[in-house]
Amino acid sequence: MNISEKLHNKYQQECQQLLNGQTGILAVVIASADGFDIASAVTKSLVPARIAAMASSISAIGTVVSQEVSLGNSKSVTVNTEKGFTYITHLELEGKSCILNVVADDSAVLAQIIYQCSEIGKRLNNT
Amino acid sequence: MNEYKLVFTGTTGAGKTTAINAVSETPTIKTDVANTDASLDKALTTVGLDFGQISLTNGDRIRLFGTPGQTRFDFMWKILAKDAFGIIILIDNSRADPLADMDLYLTGFLKELETIPCVIGIGRSEKNPTPGIDDFSIRLAQRNLILPVIPVDVRRAQDVILLIDILMAQTEADMI
Repeated sequence: MNISEKLHNKYQQECQQLLNGQTGILAVVIASADGFDIASAVTKSLVPARIAAMASSISAIGTVVSQEVSLGNSKSVTVNTEKGFTYITHLELEGKSCILNVVADDSAVLAQIIYQCSEIGKRLNNT
Repeated sequence: MNEYKLVFTGTTGAGKTTAINAVSETPTIKTDVANTDASLDKALTTVGLDFGQISLTNGDRIRLFGTPGQTRFDFMWKILAKDAFGIIILIDNSRADPLADMDLYLTGFLKELETIPCVIGIGRSEKNPTPGIDDFSIRLAQRNLILPVIPVDVRRAQDVILLIDILMAQTEADMI
């Protein structure tokens, strides 16, 4: 997905702010719907490209599940694990469907992450 | 009634989704999204899985799963190949290096191919005859593999059924 440097910096800044502003976040990745990382902020040895591809698959499977059961469009998918969670939600960037993925350990609060992701979505839609 | 799981994998654009579409009795479940990779000449690409199914005359059922082609989705390859009775690798012979493409999937499914029968389907070979079937077989032999290699047009249901029949025959032969 081709984006200007200015927009890329904006997306990168949003990822970094979320990572820095909330406890327990290990990675924030904005990806194209087909699984390419566009912007990211990660800790540890997490690989944004890998997270982007997995988020793309999970998001797409969430979409077909929602279609199959006729419950409208899929808005997000949460994978809860023993030691944390991954939250994947849709973003509209430059008119294109994209994905915002947050990976966090169990010190993070899911509700706060959901709220912050929603705020990021609103801000970036208005960019 | 027995249920079998069959996996279609291979090059992006080789026709994995098309192959499942061609034979599935149920509408194919697809996870296609807009393609943003400029190196691929296609509007949509599979990022999760495809799913369809067919029934055999004896009442048995085959569940058909398609993988994404790109290596960045190789984690899905392992998930989908679990408990499969067969793997069909589709190669697009119009691409720059189809033999290298085949190598990629043989390596990606290396562990699975130790126990799971596999067939190689070569697409678009009528307009792109090189490499030929023998070249694929030689490359397989260099990897100590003997696998059926056949030219296919996955838009034709009978070609896809042929691939599945060959896999079934391989499975039965392995049971003897």
